[in-house]
Amino acid sequence: MFICLIRDSLSASKPGVLETVARACSPRVEAHGDDVVVCDARGLTRVIGAPAVIAEEMRRMAWERGLGVRVAIAGSQTAAWLLAHVRPGATIVPSGDEARMLERLPLSALIILPAPPRPTMALPSSKPAPPSTKNDMQPLRTSKAGQSDLQSRAVAEALSICDRWGLVTLGDLARLPRADVLTRMGPVGVRLHQAACGEDATPMVPTGEAPRFVERMELEWPVEGLEPLSFVLARICDALSVTLARADRGAVTITTRLRLVTKAMHERTLTLPSPMREAKTLRTLILLDLEAHPAPAGIDVVEVECGVTPGRIAQGSLLAYTVPTPEDLSTLLARLQALVGDSRVGAPVIVDTHNPRVSSMKPFVLSTRLHQGFGGQAPAPKNSEPRTSIRRLRVPVPVRVRVERGRPVSVALSERITLSERTSVRESKGVTTAAGPWRTSGHWWTSDAQTWDRDEWDVALESGVIYRLARNRQTDAWELEGEID
Amino acid sequence: MASAALSHLTQLLDSKHLAGTLTRPMEGGRPCIGTGVSLLDDAEHLAGGWPKGQLSEVIGSPSSGRTSVVMATLAAVTQQGGMVALVDVADRLDPASAEAAGVVLDRLLWVRGPQLSWGASQMTVGDLAVQRGLRAFDLIVRAGGVAVVVFDVADVPARHLRSLAASTWLRLGYVLEGRDTVGLVMGAQPIGRSAHGVSLTLQAKGKWTGRSAQSRRLTGLAVTPDVSQRVRRVRSAQPSGKEATPCLFALSATL
Repeated sequence: MFICLIRDSLSASKPGVLETVARACSPRVEAHGDDVVVCDARGLTRVIGAPAVIAEEMRRMAWERGLGVRVAIAGSQTAAWLLAHVRPGATIVPSGDEARMLERLPLSALIILPAPPRPTMALPSSKPAPPSTKNDMQPLRTSKAGQSDLQSRAVAEALSICDRWGLVTLGDLARLPRADVLTRMGPVGVRLHQAACGEDATPMVPTGEAPRFVERMELEWPVEGLEPLSFVLARICDALSVTLARADRGAVTITTRLRLVTKAMHERTLTLPSPMREAKTLRTLILLDLEAHPAPAGIDVVEVECGVTPGRIAQGSLLAYTVPTPEDLSTLLARLQALVGDSRVGAPVIVDTHNPRVSSMKPFVLSTRLHQGFGGQAPAPKNSEPRTSIRRLRVPVPVRVRVERGRPVSVALSERITLSERTSVRESKGVTTAAGPWRTSGHWWTSDAQTWDRDEWDVALESGVIYRLARNRQTDAWELEGEID
Repeated sequence: MASAALSHLTQLLDSKHLAGTLTRPMEGGRPCIGTGVSLLDDAEHLAGGWPKGQLSEVIGSPSSGRTSVVMATLAAVTQQGGMVALVDVADRLDPASAEAAGVVLDRLLWVRGPQLSWGASQMTVGDLAVQRGLRAFDLIVRAGGVAVVVFDVADVPARHLRSLAASTWLRLGYVLEGRDTVGLVMGAQPIGRSAHGVSLTLQAKGKWTGRSAQSRRLTGLAVTPDVSQRVRRVRSAQPSGKEATPCLFALSATL
């Protein structure tokens, strides 16, 4: 007896939830991605109850985890698979009734059959498979979305043949002699015929449970402050580092759970830009994060769990610039964020807008791809001619501008705001040269604050400074955008 | 006698790990990073570019081309795969200008200061921003692997910089010493550099085109650089008086 669990189309996908539910009920589970799980239900009736009770229990457990599921229990994997995909809710097939339950299903249901398993015979040069984890585990059989194009095309072609024969339901196909189907459609036809009869083509191949990289320490006395906690974290991170190294894995997320004396949980999750397993780096990152987000009370239990990915193998270059190691870069970014704030550290981003005032930044992730040209040589710089830059004021400063014959002739900064100690700028300065206006506007189709409509000018003052000014065409107010430098 | 005294002094400084404070004639072949402006890298000026492991400074009044020179340096390094950092104390970087100058933005670590008006009432906040900027500069240099770290205090009032301890720049120079990182301080006035660093002073005039007022537009800046406060063999043979340096390179307008 087999159970097929499928995420209901109305629920958002939650990786790992289906597998967790299945493993809570059965030790033999085969996961097909995040949305389909098949498990062996033999013996469960003695533990949980009748098939209907098992199905209801699994639906309840999934629902508690925020996931709506379809469940089908049948004597074969294929029957459970097809019925779970086609019928909502829970479907229970009495033993031996698979063919009868399937016979009214349309032939098009066969398109969702799982792809056949890959050959298990290892090639002579292949290495032994490393222990699987949640992140890198690939299902041997995939659902419809994961089917190979070749397999999909073959099934679609066979179904079109059935359609030309006038077959409508699985029962119509099941009633044909299998030998004749083999003669006319080949192995694909036989597989479809087996499915229509509710028979399995291959046995179930259970996948191993992904190992968890978690360390936990219960303290005899509650600790307060980072200094005593750092010693605890050092021991935990040392053990985690060894475990990760043995499994050839690197941590990509670190979840720190602190159980407080108030019985509350303080949980922090760090996402690392690249896999790492150095104990010192892991400890420093956790401590820096806890420094910015301290626990509100004394700590009873410390638990650190790592989300992992296969180990990183990188080859440096003698010709390219040296860049920080991912461990050093992560530590640096964490320190900088603790110093100036999360939102003030990153890489600048060009925003897709014509509004020059808009700027943004994104988290700094240094690409490991080397910018190399032919033969490993670093490419020559693109721009040999240096360009001027503008030092833009993030918040434009209001200025008073005297205009004659449509052109600015003198500029004075508002008294209430000073850029720096350039006191001379506060006074009205004559404009020696002015170029403009260049009109920019945008978001005029909306009536919100994003609308802008400006005339921009480049003006050189007597002091030699070249400013970029903007006149708001709606309010006729002048603002200093920045200076050409 | 003088040689013995100098040797004793050198040994004394070496024992205190302060050998970098001695100003010596530049040795040939010292590792440098190009400025991205070929005329600045020639033997008459920077002789190869910014020296690695040293704190140098780019000085100039507003619209003197200092930001453009720094951006040219960052562009040259990032286009060759290097990582650079900009500690932008006054938060004045324009990403569009930087990209137009050729900077690979994904390789630019941008540390932004708080949004301040730098008025008189912001004295404490301004001091704090500068202190944080210095701390960020120090962290980046110590992390290693960053080719160029720029400390942009061009728009920070001098009173905030004067409030720093006199040993600040000496300590920053000491942190940089022996590393492959170029430290650049960009300011309106001479601020501080290490003994083997360079001070590049820039002056510029706007270049305009168009005969009529309506057709006039800014085409760039004509920049006159001056490398000062540096002991170089090339210059040691020349008279110490400052000669008028002709305009050496032009910066074209991008926006």
